[in-house]
Amino acid sequence: MTTTTQPDAHHAEPLVSPKRGRPDPAVLLEKYALAGMFILLCVVFANMSSTAETFPTVANIKNVLGGESVIAIAALASILPLTCGQFDLSVGAVIGLSSIVGASAVATHDLPVAVAVLAGVLAGSLVGAFNGWLVAYRGVNALIATLGTSTLVAGLVSLYTDNQIISVGIPESLTNLGAGDLLGIPRPVYAIAIVALFVYYLLRHTPYGRYLASVGASPSSARLVGLNVPRMILSSFVLSGALSGIAGILLLARAGTANPQVGPGFTLAALSAAFLGATAIRPGTFNVPGTLLGVLFVAISVNGLVLAGTADWVEPTFNGVALLVAVTLSTAIARRRAGQT
Amino acid sequence: MITGGAQDVVLCTTGLSKTFAGTTVLQDAHLEVKRGEIHALLGGNGSGKSTLIKVLAGVYGADSGGRIAVQGVSAPADEWSPAMARNAGLHFVHQDPAVFGPLTVAENLAIGRGFIQAVGGRINWPANRRRAAKILERFSIDVSPEALVANLRPAERTMLSIARALQDQEGAHDGVLVLDEPTASLPAWEVDILLAALRKYAAAGQTILYVSHRLPEILELADRVTVLRDGIQVATRDIAELDERSLVELIAGRDLERVFPDRPATVSEEIALSVRGLVAGPLRGVDLDLRRGEVLGVAGLLGSGRTTLLRALFGDINIESGQLTLEGAPFRPRRPASAMRAGVAMVPEDRGAEGLFGSLSVRENLSAAVVPRYWSLGRLQHGRERSDASALVGAYAVRPASDAAVAGTLSGGNQQKVVMARWLRRDPVVLLLDEPTQGVDVQARSEIYEHVRRAVAKGSSVLLVTSDFEELAHLSDRVVVLRDGRVAAEARGGDLDPQRLTELSYISEETSA
Repeated sequence: MTTTTQPDAHHAEPLVSPKRGRPDPAVLLEKYALAGMFILLCVVFANMSSTAETFPTVANIKNVLGGESVIAIAALASILPLTCGQFDLSVGAVIGLSSIVGASAVATHDLPVAVAVLAGVLAGSLVGAFNGWLVAYRGVNALIATLGTSTLVAGLVSLYTDNQIISVGIPESLTNLGAGDLLGIPRPVYAIAIVALFVYYLLRHTPYGRYLASVGASPSSARLVGLNVPRMILSSFVLSGALSGIAGILLLARAGTANPQVGPGFTLAALSAAFLGATAIRPGTFNVPGTLLGVLFVAISVNGLVLAGTADWVEPTFNGVALLVAVTLSTAIARRRAGQT
Repeated sequence: MITGGAQDVVLCTTGLSKTFAGTTVLQDAHLEVKRGEIHALLGGNGSGKSTLIKVLAGVYGADSGGRIAVQGVSAPADEWSPAMARNAGLHFVHQDPAVFGPLTVAENLAIGRGFIQAVGGRINWPANRRRAAKILERFSIDVSPEALVANLRPAERTMLSIARALQDQEGAHDGVLVLDEPTASLPAWEVDILLAALRKYAAAGQTILYVSHRLPEILELADRVTVLRDGIQVATRDIAELDERSLVELIAGRDLERVFPDRPATVSEEIALSVRGLVAGPLRGVDLDLRRGEVLGVAGLLGSGRTTLLRALFGDINIESGQLTLEGAPFRPRRPASAMRAGVAMVPEDRGAEGLFGSLSVRENLSAAVVPRYWSLGRLQHGRERSDASALVGAYAVRPASDAAVAGTLSGGNQQKVVMARWLRRDPVVLLLDEPTQGVDVQARSEIYEHVRRAVAKGSSVLLVTSDFEELAHLSDRVVVLRDGRVAAEARGGDLDPQRLTELSYISEETSA
């Protein structure tokens, strides 16, 4: 041992982890700031004169929950590639594709609903596999690769549908999945719950989730602890595609029609929620509860503003601000965690 | 102009202290650099060396009470700013030379200083080229102003960034060039080129404050040396009074012999890993036998294929041909996962990029190679993982003593202990260590040696690559020297001293091997 009594920079740190003892208030604030803001917004809208009558009603809450189900599932899909450090900008286009594939299967080809659902999910997985191949095995930047596939998929959907909405021949057994309540809760909420539990389990409770996070933290280190990095990246895109496929089927079930134009619009909303989620609950990490909170936060804000009668420009502007703030904050948190400030 | 006094001190700090959140990392530091000398600043990690440099640069504000004086500009240390440092003539060049690869030499020189412009604000390229050529000549850099910096050799890039820092200085006698670990990422032959250039600048009268870990370099280059330990200035001496051993004593604060654990008396004759005719990358037929419980050192210059050897054995580089046997069974790893299954572990050279998961917790870093162990009953057993991780944090004396700390915020030595623990917990048959103590402070270093010895006592065999000949000599039971892709020499017993190993590595026409 050294004989010196001078504390050295790294030996002098506390011997007991601050995490074990009493929680640090700053840490708690960071974890639950988004939840706090969410509750605050709810209180404001419930009491503001222009929204007090419509906002805190069961019908409105059900409407918000049901309406956000597609974005929620898309956001949950996008955090899988994000966890291993890759953007997937094609979630929206895949939602559009899957809803068209599903609608076409039941309406044009008279296939059973189960087959239509599978076809939608399969179509999403194939797009995901293509994205993953480009990114993991051809070294293409994920932003560009998925932007390209997104545009390509939208183009093919437009070609296939001739830009016509598929609205005839969607059976009730399919639309029932997206409408009405079960035990007093809107059916799409069950879909969110199932997907959320699945992604949460995958990320937090399986080696696969740990491996994804390792690849995201350092691809080279991941390779040198024996992980097959390209395969991890590929699989995260396939899963993201498959889950977006489910979101597409849900969209079809809720709308009762398949519109070739609506898919791509979901991408940024999903990413906003994912990045907002990375500022909460487990700050600096893409996580399921945070992502759901992010979806709800954006949804309630927009819902309240719309009920208050604000103009059309408010919603996109708010979404844009939410995304930028979310990305800036989550980046700052991640950098501070890694000791880079 | 400052009139040259008898002492002619260019840079002088007195009573410089720096405290971070109650921890004193620099205490009452006194540094005195004379005009025209190469003054080395030495100390282990955590010695306060980098803090002192950052205070001089004005990046960190010092505690009140100290004073910094440079060429007659004198100010209280807590008011020192980057602008004052620049105006006083302190020029900093860091380990990463921060030059722009895709731009030309002339463009690199003009960036930060400004381009010579013609009418309408457009760049006057011929004038810029002429100015660049003049600067290159002054700093003896033998490249064209038009050359792309990406095509320069590493030493030339560092020289270019020195030239860029000093280009506006009127004469060589003004200002102080502060070089912070300029050779840390350079291969050995590039170091020689750079040191030759530095000697030339010094001969022209340039004052240089030189920060480095590499003792032979300092002994060769510096006129005087200041050694810091635990934030305190332990000594300022003329280099002529010192040798490598006395420098190590000053840095470590104890006798060299006690830094290294005792070597065990015997090594078994049983062969753990046998390599015959290994061809991969620059390796052209390597033969070696690693015995059970042996630390086999691998010496050789950079580029001799040392790292390739380890990576090939770990399945990270394709093996073109060769016969490998691990514990008697044929061994041909195709990827790291298969090498790991066979019982091989590797601690890579570049800890930051290839060893650590900087944004993950210490716990996740410790488990990275054993995640499936915690997978039971359909979920990861987080409780079991946490208690194992806490035990390892204790056993390896990782500071801060928390398995929840973010790994990237640990000091270099503690990061390396985490990476070591990650692999040693697998009780590897063969442990491959690539520069295990690079950028690691003296204290953590001896702890790492201790853990290597303990692993060996438990039956692991170690292949150790290090450019630190002292380490090689003291930690290895036997050393093989790689040269031109082959094992060119072997040293054991009495030959295991740094001097001899250096000779074996550097001298290519070695006949007595």
